[in-house]
Amino acid sequence: MPQPASSTPSDDRLNLLEDALQGAQAEHVLLRWHHKSTRSVAVEKGRVDNAASNTYSGIGVRVLAHGSYGFASTDRPEKDAIRRAIEAATAAAKASARQRREKVAAPPPTQLARGVWESAGARELRERPMEALLRLCLDSEAAARGASATIQSATCGYSEIHEEKAIVTSDGARALVRVARPELRLFAVAAKNGQMQRGVETSGVTGGWQCLFQRASAAQMADSAARKAIELLEAERPQGGRSVVILSPALVGMLVHEAVGHTVEADFVLAGSVARGRIGTRVASDLVTLEDSGHSEFLDGAGGLVEVDDEGVPARRTTIIEQGMLRSYLHDRESAAHFGVEPTGNARAWEYDNEPLIRMRNTYIRPGAGTLEELVAGTQDGWLLEGASNGQADSNGEFMFGTHEARRIVGGKLGERMKGVNISGSAFEVLQTVDAVTGDFRWDLGSGHCGKGQPAKVDAGGPWLRCKVVLGGKEA
Amino acid sequence: MRTTLESAHYEPRTLQQSLAERCRRMVDLARAAGADEAEAFASARHGSSVKYEKGDLKLVSSDEGAVVGLRVFKDKRAGFASTNQSDDAALEACVRDALATAAFAPAHEANVLPDARPWVERVACSREMAEADGELLLELGADLVRTTREKSAKFSLDGASADLSRGVQAVANSRGVLAHESDGLVSLSLMGMAIDGDEVGGFHYDSGAWRSLAAARAAARPMVEGVVDICLANLGARAATSYKGPVLFSADAFVDLFVAPLVAGSSALAVQRGRSPLAKLLGQAVASPLFTLRDAPHDLDLAGAAAFDREGVPTAAFDLVRAGVLQGWLHNAHSAAVGGTTSTGHARGGARGVPGLGPHALVVEAGDGGDESAMARALGRGLWVERFSGTVDPTNGDFSGVAKSSRWVDGGSASHAVKETMISGNALHLLRQIARVGSVHTLLGGAAKAPMVLVDGVDVTAG
Repeated sequence: MPQPASSTPSDDRLNLLEDALQGAQAEHVLLRWHHKSTRSVAVEKGRVDNAASNTYSGIGVRVLAHGSYGFASTDRPEKDAIRRAIEAATAAAKASARQRREKVAAPPPTQLARGVWESAGARELRERPMEALLRLCLDSEAAARGASATIQSATCGYSEIHEEKAIVTSDGARALVRVARPELRLFAVAAKNGQMQRGVETSGVTGGWQCLFQRASAAQMADSAARKAIELLEAERPQGGRSVVILSPALVGMLVHEAVGHTVEADFVLAGSVARGRIGTRVASDLVTLEDSGHSEFLDGAGGLVEVDDEGVPARRTTIIEQGMLRSYLHDRESAAHFGVEPTGNARAWEYDNEPLIRMRNTYIRPGAGTLEELVAGTQDGWLLEGASNGQADSNGEFMFGTHEARRIVGGKLGERMKGVNISGSAFEVLQTVDAVTGDFRWDLGSGHCGKGQPAKVDAGGPWLRCKVVLGGKEA
Repeated sequence: MRTTLESAHYEPRTLQQSLAERCRRMVDLARAAGADEAEAFASARHGSSVKYEKGDLKLVSSDEGAVVGLRVFKDKRAGFASTNQSDDAALEACVRDALATAAFAPAHEANVLPDARPWVERVACSREMAEADGELLLELGADLVRTTREKSAKFSLDGASADLSRGVQAVANSRGVLAHESDGLVSLSLMGMAIDGDEVGGFHYDSGAWRSLAAARAAARPMVEGVVDICLANLGARAATSYKGPVLFSADAFVDLFVAPLVAGSSALAVQRGRSPLAKLLGQAVASPLFTLRDAPHDLDLAGAAAFDREGVPTAAFDLVRAGVLQGWLHNAHSAAVGGTTSTGHARGGARGVPGLGPHALVVEAGDGGDESAMARALGRGLWVERFSGTVDPTNGDFSGVAKSSRWVDGGSASHAVKETMISGNALHLLRQIARVGSVHTLLGGAAKAPMVLVDGVDVTAG
């Protein structure tokens, strides 16, 4: 785990929370001061639709009393208001204890975060003037729209979230965390002969301005979005059915997030997901080592960077699948205690008035060996799939997610470009079919967020990977 | 801040007045600071929630707060800022931020605010909702969990909640708009799956929101039993058969798949900016004559019912498609100014963002196709899609995704659950191939009403 910038933080917000905590009558109290400020710009067809700055700030309070949890929040950063929130959360916990069948014990001692953490680039990003953000979006939108006469419309959206959190618990966490998460989204719509197609490019990181554009400049993204839209105008839908596919890093990211990640979230496991009871069993081919980390492994800028989770637990790297064997679930403090393991730092809350839930951070398959070119050359009959859109996983392990484009592979050669389709399969069955994993690596969820009652900024990625899935294409 | 479970002293009328006053004050502050025009929209929430996980109570929480969003125009340049802090310094900072942003934005002639129009209160937080408290939610939640246990031991409740949402909205602008409204709903939701030995079935969920406790209590048991029945039926899923032809869609799947791209294409902004596939079809048939879609903002069955939109323009019933023919575009003040017309009252959004554009409360008109059994008989043999999990491209209507909680129909009735079964096609083309519309409306989470619909020509791929 990266070391904090300061290990003995002295901060007014931490002091305020510790002061408010004094005398609280409960088994455990978690206080989280969460200040979120955002700046956003959206431009379409030359018009600025949105140029905004927002502040959303307050203190979330979670109390464990009489073996049950209560949660309350206040938007007032004052000792008395926080104490009233503690009282409200305590009253809620005590009242709910009447109904709760399985009482929760106070969380066992564990390593808790004490220090100050700040993501790289946060200060520099905040100092960038709004004028520069507007110019970026106006220029990028114009570039996408001007790329070809067939581009009818283009949209460029930029947003940055600055989060500051002070986390104090009654058992010793005392952490201050600052992160910045900028995103850029470009859409281009091409039209020809009554057909319309959309090209999309996005980038989303935890980091600064340079990090946001480390893979491609805004101009390159604009050009790519326009080109994709134009190319898809001529594309046909692929034939549906079970097929061999090579998944791009973005789609590997969707596979590990949707197909596996959700099923190993411990709250979902306890409810009976397909991963329940399978620790120590084979769930994938031995080429698959799958991890979830709060850090930016292999490359900078992973969007779901979390140094300290919202229960004050240092976020660590968790090996979920090791060479095909299921090794771990993802935990908060309550589920870790239930399973008798250490918490993994996966408790996350979107805003101050949301309670922490078990969420993924940066989920990926570790790279193997070889190149994409070698993988294509070794594929006799299949598809190369690229670009991820939305996805969803089911309790039985069945997943689906969308792809932007598909290219036929016949006899080891790439063929025609076709429209993207959604793909599906059963997670652990599909992972058993993985027979090749390349040696490169990319974080590639772009501006993607995960939804589970509340949003969470996550990232995912990996190498290129070959497996078998079901394509939802056309029928004869 | 209040203690969650004590009886709340909640006065929506007082809150409405104070929120409207805050909006008016923000507009005055913005004008005094140099804005040519200003609009303030504020929303306040005051609610409680009871959440269940794994069949047990997980968390009781309370939620209270308010946000104000300020939009300013200076020399036809627009800026926006919002805050949830209510002290003077925060409100003044909000004004400064909005004006500072406007200073850099390019001017646009259609950066306008609507003029004031008379409006009539349509919804209000009822006395029983104003007096409701967390104990009520614990009672509703306990009933919900008990019903799942009584129904089947094979059902595993992944998550459920009972929520009390009380809100007030107010909007004021420098052209005389001043509107405010309160609302109060109780909502229930649950999600779970059936487990039989080593077999885990696919999950299913449902939710609903009601403005009266009697309605919530009456609807709760059928809703819970419906979810449990579907989850039990998801066990034993088998492969379907690939084909191209008729597919029966539940109300939920039909709205997700077919109504969403139609609504996206009916946005005047999408038409004006060249990204609506419907742009040249106004007044023409875009669907089967069996299909009528309307926005019904005064239908109190629907959670989106409201007297005025995000810009304070009064709402009214609006037919998007009548008997298959496209009737008109949805407008807010900006798109109306671009198009040389008036707003249809479809500015949408909250206090934390600039107004967008969209419908309030969608209703697909019921037909004469009969109930669920009659619709299955009409399908005869093929796929019955209960839930669609996939992607619909709003630019062109192309869709592809998985049929979830879905059944194979043979001999006019459901024979077994299907697995790894995908559907694809073009929603806008397939609207013309609607073969039959059911007679029974389903309320979809309080957000829309629709019947089951049978659509021909869908690609079905069995894994």
